[in-house]
Amino acid sequence: MLRLRRSLKIVTMLRVRPGVTVTIMFVLLGIGLMASPQRDDQARPAPATAPDGDDTEGGAEDGQPVDLAELERRLAVLAEEVERLRSGEDVASAGAALTPSEVRALGLAPSAAATYERDRGVSIAGYGEMLYENFSAENQAGDRAGRGSQIDFVRAILYAGYRFNDRFLFNSEIEIEHADEVFVEFAYLDYLAHENLGIRGGMVLLPMGLVNEFHEPTVFLGAARPVTEQRIIPSTWRANGGGVHGSVDRVSYRAFVVNGLDGTQFSANGIRGGRQKGSRAKAGNMAVTGRIDVTMTPGVFVGASVYSGGAGQGDVAIEGTSYDVRTTVVDLHGQAQMRGFDLRGLYARATVDDARALNQVLGLNGTDGVAEAMHGGYVQVGYDVLSQVSAGGGLGLTPYVRYEQVDTQATMPEGFARSAATSNTFTTIGVEVKPIPNIVVKVDYGWVRNDARVGVNQFNVGLGYAF
Amino acid sequence: MRSSRLHVAVVAVLACAPAVAAAQGGVLSRDEALAAVYQGASVEPERVFLTPSQMSEAASIAGVDIESGLIARYVAMRDGVVVGRAYVDTHVVRTKRESLLISLDPAGRVRRIDVTAFLEPPDYRVSARWLRQYDQRPLDDDLALQRAIRSMAGATLTAVATTDAVRRVLAIDRVLETERAVAP
Repeated sequence: MLRLRRSLKIVTMLRVRPGVTVTIMFVLLGIGLMASPQRDDQARPAPATAPDGDDTEGGAEDGQPVDLAELERRLAVLAEEVERLRSGEDVASAGAALTPSEVRALGLAPSAAATYERDRGVSIAGYGEMLYENFSAENQAGDRAGRGSQIDFVRAILYAGYRFNDRFLFNSEIEIEHADEVFVEFAYLDYLAHENLGIRGGMVLLPMGLVNEFHEPTVFLGAARPVTEQRIIPSTWRANGGGVHGSVDRVSYRAFVVNGLDGTQFSANGIRGGRQKGSRAKAGNMAVTGRIDVTMTPGVFVGASVYSGGAGQGDVAIEGTSYDVRTTVVDLHGQAQMRGFDLRGLYARATVDDARALNQVLGLNGTDGVAEAMHGGYVQVGYDVLSQVSAGGGLGLTPYVRYEQVDTQATMPEGFARSAATSNTFTTIGVEVKPIPNIVVKVDYGWVRNDARVGVNQFNVGLGYAF
Repeated sequence: MRSSRLHVAVVAVLACAPAVAAAQGGVLSRDEALAAVYQGASVEPERVFLTPSQMSEAASIAGVDIESGLIARYVAMRDGVVVGRAYVDTHVVRTKRESLLISLDPAGRVRRIDVTAFLEPPDYRVSARWLRQYDQRPLDDDLALQRAIRSMAGATLTAVATTDAVRRVLAIDRVLETERAVAP
């Protein structure tokens, strides 16, 4: 009976799927019932009948007693089986296996193929963030700013994925923005041709900058995303299309063909309005985008991204001449996370061809026009002051500072002038607290300066989670 | 014309990618990993049942929970001498499991880590290169993220789970080996 209790205890300590656990418990229960009288017989020298009756039934297999060595063997077999099931190495091993020739054709070791062919089903994850913004009563010039404050549940997200078999999987991000706007941020099918190569099709995140793909609030410093990665790289930037992704040793890469931006939605504040967000996207002009990152050592990488494609979509035409409005965005970026330090830097530049024609079609004049070139960049440093203290218990406390310059009218087309309000510097100082890696609270204050002296400082508090 | 050139470039990338990727290896099974780590050694599997006190002591040393008392361990011997021990640690990363084969040297330092199962989306898996940070690490306070171990952008939870797993295995090994050393 002691052995039975021990076996049951082992099972309860394991994190195996409920159905598996129940099955194993029944098996152990049966063996335990068979085994208990034999063990009691050996443990107790004298009594022929145990007071609790454990010795009266079920102590034999085919009428023969089960000896201790056999029980030990069975327990070892069960322990091995339980451990193997728990490991996930053998999940759903039946069916849809690759043939040896298919495995060879993919350049995969058999075990590598087995890992991917054995796990299927639904996966769920998510993140969310709430942001309180309190703007200064006065702007840079001392005039009344009139912006007040607001608290917004910026994003509530659910990731849902499904693995059809070892090669095909679906992944998606369904987002509710500002508590009442529903978007699909991405929804794609992946074909996992190789550990280092995937082919992706659907609505994809553009592989630009540091934030666009990794935009969970627990990943980036600051209550709000850097302005450069809102106006020059309009995160969250997604589009419909497909391409490849993967990594080879220190180098990771992604390259997609997607629908182009809609230039008729550009403005003096940048190209952000041109995102089509995958909804009945105009595809008269397509675009290519890609990135390469080199991880020099764990925690440290540098890279570059590019996007280029027409944004005219057939809607920018003057006197029978149609303009492509080719829009190109290039960025250089780097990040280093070492010994509690978090250093990040990014420079991005966007150019818009045919900006003069675009402005003419949009009826924009003077300083309201779309620029031919815009750029932005930032450097940021944070340091987790508890990272080197074991007594911190996993708590993260990271003060940070970010300096940023963004100009959405760096170069204007002939006949148009720059606005003094579109070239801004942002200086942000704050602190983030992570009680566990999945939860973050951020508090920061930002100073905003421009030549028009209409910058408005703001105080932010952010709350974020990811699971 | 410029548009055509760009599209040709993308097609070229698509065409070349499989060839580049085919040069890389895959995930190893336990047997393959053990054979690679302890070359020429005989490796005996063991299933260890930790007592409650052993679990408690290991958790205290590791600073992380020991969730199961059933431990899969492999002891490698060459010419009658123990040349290493390896443990399988299975844990949840986000919502799904990962199994690591954590191989140690005779002194109880990490010799190598292999991923034997990863049921999360592949995007969250850490690279073999990143795992090499743990090589030769003993169990000490510096074995932690943001200290001796650097995090990995986009796979933070996997990095956390991996570090916890290594601390757990090193602590269990220390408890077992200490008891073996003092046993009559």
